[in-house]
Amino acid sequence: MTTLLPRSAFARACLVAVLGLAGCTGCRLLEANVPAPLEGPLLPGQTGGVFTTGHPTLASAVSAFFGVRPEPEQPFEFPHNIHVGQDIGCTEYCHETVLEGPVAGLPSVRTCLSCHRTVATNRPRIRQITNMFESGRDFAWQRVYGYAAEAHVRFNHAPHVLAEIECATCHGDVGAQRVAQRNVDLTMGFCVNCHNERQAPVDCMTCHF
Amino acid sequence: MPRWGMAVDLDRCNGCGACVTACHAENNISTVGPDQASRGRAKHWLRVERYWEGEFPDVRLRFRPVMCQHCDSAPCEPVCPTYASHHTEDGLNAQVYNRCIGTRYCANACPYSVRFFDFFNPSWDRPLQLQLNPDVSLREVGVMEKCTFCVQRIKASTVQAKAEERAIEDGEVQPACAQACPAKAMVFGDLEDPESAVSRLSRSSRGSALLEDRGTRPAVTYLSRQSE
Amino acid sequence: MDRRSFIKLTAVSGTSAALTACGSPDNELIRFVPDEDIYPGIAIWKPAVCAACAAGCGLTVRVMDADADVVRDGQAGVVRIYAAKKLEGAPEHPVNRGGLCARGQAAIQITYHPDRITRPLRRTGARGSGQYEAVSWDDALAELVGRLDALEQAGRQSALAMVTRARTGHRAALVARFLAGFGAPGAVVHEPLGEEVLRRANALSFGYDQMPTFDLPNARFVLGLGADFLGTWSSPVSQALGYGQMRQGRPGIRGLFVQVEARMSQTGANADRWLPARPGTEGFLALGLAHVLMAEGLRPADAAGRAGALVDGWEAGLADYAPDRVAEMTGIPPGRVEALARELAAMAPAVVVIGGAPLAQTNGLFNALAVNALNALLGSVGTSGGVFFTPRLDLAAAAPGLAGAPSPAPSLERLVRDMLDGGAVPDVLLVDGANPVFSAPAAWRAREAIEAVPYVVSFGSFLDETAAHADLILPDHSFLESWSEAVPEAGSLEAVAGAALPVMLPLYDTRATPDVLLEIGRRLARPLALPWDTFDALLAETFEALPQTGAFDPWSTAQETGYWTGPLPAALAVPASLPAADPVAPTEPAFDGDPEEFRFHFQPYASSTFLDGSLTHLPWLQEMPDPLSSAMWSSWVEINPATAAGLGIGQGDVVEVASAHGTLQTAAMITPGIAPDLLAMPMGQGHTTFTRYATGRGANPMAIVAPLTEPTTGALAWAATRVRIARVGGPDGRLILFGGALREHDEEPRR
Repeated sequence: MTTLLPRSAFARACLVAVLGLAGCTGCRLLEANVPAPLEGPLLPGQTGGVFTTGHPTLASAVSAFFGVRPEPEQPFEFPHNIHVGQDIGCTEYCHETVLEGPVAGLPSVRTCLSCHRTVATNRPRIRQITNMFESGRDFAWQRVYGYAAEAHVRFNHAPHVLAEIECATCHGDVGAQRVAQRNVDLTMGFCVNCHNERQAPVDCMTCHF
Repeated sequence: MPRWGMAVDLDRCNGCGACVTACHAENNISTVGPDQASRGRAKHWLRVERYWEGEFPDVRLRFRPVMCQHCDSAPCEPVCPTYASHHTEDGLNAQVYNRCIGTRYCANACPYSVRFFDFFNPSWDRPLQLQLNPDVSLREVGVMEKCTFCVQRIKASTVQAKAEERAIEDGEVQPACAQACPAKAMVFGDLEDPESAVSRLSRSSRGSALLEDRGTRPAVTYLSRQSE
Repeated sequence: MDRRSFIKLTAVSGTSAALTACGSPDNELIRFVPDEDIYPGIAIWKPAVCAACAAGCGLTVRVMDADADVVRDGQAGVVRIYAAKKLEGAPEHPVNRGGLCARGQAAIQITYHPDRITRPLRRTGARGSGQYEAVSWDDALAELVGRLDALEQAGRQSALAMVTRARTGHRAALVARFLAGFGAPGAVVHEPLGEEVLRRANALSFGYDQMPTFDLPNARFVLGLGADFLGTWSSPVSQALGYGQMRQGRPGIRGLFVQVEARMSQTGANADRWLPARPGTEGFLALGLAHVLMAEGLRPADAAGRAGALVDGWEAGLADYAPDRVAEMTGIPPGRVEALARELAAMAPAVVVIGGAPLAQTNGLFNALAVNALNALLGSVGTSGGVFFTPRLDLAAAAPGLAGAPSPAPSLERLVRDMLDGGAVPDVLLVDGANPVFSAPAAWRAREAIEAVPYVVSFGSFLDETAAHADLILPDHSFLESWSEAVPEAGSLEAVAGAALPVMLPLYDTRATPDVLLEIGRRLARPLALPWDTFDALLAETFEALPQTGAFDPWSTAQETGYWTGPLPAALAVPASLPAADPVAPTEPAFDGDPEEFRFHFQPYASSTFLDGSLTHLPWLQEMPDPLSSAMWSSWVEINPATAAGLGIGQGDVVEVASAHGTLQTAAMITPGIAPDLLAMPMGQGHTTFTRYATGRGANPMAIVAPLTEPTTGALAWAATRVRIARVGGPDGRLILFGGALREHDEEPRR
């Protein structure tokens, strides 16, 4: 990393200034002109708060600018290989919506229990998730594959599933992994190359709208 | 390859503004609030213009819904340094948010004043964000936005039609404004199909383009309001 | 499974993860188990009935997954829910046929409003201090039931009062049955733009106590008198649909539209000819037109039948209403009156529409009866292109448990007067969907009256001016979270009954008010023994009584589409009933305020965005540019340019408008579309308490409206006030316009 830094102190200072500016334009800290919320005192039961595309911290704004996404840390070690080994296909229970819509989805613990209410109930992990469900808690899965909001990618699985592209092409051989790993770098180049090979549309509005 | 266009019948339009709010609801347009609105930063991708003539009691008022005209010869396209504003093969003027660096020259060039800049990150007081349409991007500060002819609906219909191995039917794609209009004044469709409703209406003797003399060649035809 | 046929016409989402709690690291996010199985990215369309106004348009609602913030057992987190995303008109619904007005589009924000009351509240501080504590439903209901039981014990059931908004449907019927069962008087209906005068006129002239339906698609000539029927009046979406067809829906035929009003409304802007008439003289214009029709032999006098006979002097040919005389009264030149009458006769079918300000006068009933007679004379009643009355489902006939009307309810004005002057103060007041402290004229002193009531309960979702006086708040679901229903009284030639399942699970700890009333009925010491466990049981009962008109039975059809429509058998229809009535003498309007001091007529009007102020809290509507002026987040008073110049008032100047009953300050909006002696102001702003978006914004014209009423119905004559105006200062930024100057560049095409 250090070899990427410029040599002179002046150039480094410029780099810091540019980074700071880049981060600040995306971040709410310097936005004096974000409309101030009009709210008054809250009644019991009201929670308040604002939803915005602004980043809450300079750090998150800078990371987003550089497209840095930390490796996901899953709340639970779900072993894909064991389930795939049981001949459960990607789209059979957990990611079934990809056959009918644009999104594959991340399953709720309800889905797990549709089988594990009766299957392997003696295992400690299964008891763990059963307890979770009964206490009303669900998995807060972290997305492994996805895009930054600022990329404005509107990816639709449907045409890809229709074209009979294997899930593994873009998601790696998840059946060989325990916890899903980010093995395939889904850069724009990756997508465009395949689109060019298969003569799929490559104009901007295919994905960025 | 379709060429998308719209016909607006000003004799049916009564100026109610249902289209304006429908557009906000469909396209995740944030409310800017009174302070920013007074600074001219409200983002009405579609607006109803009012033309007043005469003095009391001989007063006349006419309405005209104005949205991005998706001009064939769009002045906003050549001035964009990053190709964020460009023309697609199916006749849309595309706005690619992630390419946009916010020079705002496109808004400067547009004679219809239909382009809006995000001067700040949009915000929604929770839980208003639950209404947001997941098919439409949330724009961040520093990008231009405008009417897209509800491109998300066009894309969804395109994918659906391809899956069913058929062409898109006339009237299958309806932007939010056309769908909401109580008077059925707005018609959207494929101008390449001479039998589509929009093509037939565009050939009407009442039809004309807005600011035709600028040479922008809009994809929107206005059917003039008739008089007695 | 054939993938091709299953891929739905749906979203192309990609970044729903980005929509979750922005910034908080995902591994610290607490997620709760959803209450139902959620399929991400796939839209489901569900039927509903719009509740933004009383028209009862049918909706189809796009429902998709979303992450809601919740707190469970003190733990903050998110949960996947099915959330309504977009409201669209139901494509085949007989009233709106797929269209939906701006207010209907914005109604989704009611459900997600940040200031929505989320659980029952009990007042802890002084009334109006905004201090409440959360209570459980059990405790809240026990408290209210205790109060009602006390009334029962003391034999003072009549000391229970209820104020509601005007509704036509099962909810109103259930409220009536509840009150009747308890022994309380019927609910006082407070609807500022209620049109009781027109309903009464229709009952007298034609036997139907309801709003009229106009067959615009088949009309050749429409004469509008003050009614904003394309904007805010009666069933605007249905009327706009019909108007579009009247203009361009018939090859080679274009209907003509003439509007008569002193202030150009959004509707009037579309007229081929726009004629100003003096306020309150529209009835005389109608008589003048009838005179010409009869005098020139264009129509026989007896063609008007009973409706004509109700107007004193009709059979004698209305000799007193020759064009010259009518011109003096209305300000419309005699030649115009004659020409208009001849056009009405020649361009058949012709229909006359009256509503709004002309009926909000002391002579409103006369104006309405005169127009009814004119329509009858033209042969437009019940004929193609004319005026009809939507067949209405008689709910008590369909669900006998509803029978038994409560004792008649007084008007709000009467109730308040009895309270303040007669000492007849109810012990318990229930408020459901009405905000009289804001929308009744300040001169009626509704606030004082409510302050005198010992125990006030509000079923509202928001802390508005009236709910601020409540001791107990039992928040209703939003209409998307409950069984939505309506039985439209206008907008369709065939009968319609709407009922739809909740579109989404409740976001909060709220309960549907009809179900709460049923629960109270069960908990009372003397239970009301109402035959329904839940509100939808009542809906099912009435729908099961309807005849089958489609492939499925009415209740199943309603679950699928949200409505039933078809011919209504006589046994289930509200019958026409002509009351005995004496002819009404043509009456001049009376105005409040000495004309020397108060030189201007004052016309508050229904706002295109807020109607009467019940929708002012929705941010999309605040930011939507007003159709005539492009104003946003503002209120204003419209003033004629010559008048303004004479008073030294410029665009945007701060002015003070005063009547004999109050003053207000607002911005001046100079517009050519208003008579020089008239000032007009949209209703809706000026809330002192109504969520963050509406509180403390603009001015409320009802604060200065004089308490004049139409004598027969007791309806507020809200257009009968005279005012004066004076400039206070220059523009101070309170008037926010989206567009440029009022006069835009003319873009008329060359053709």
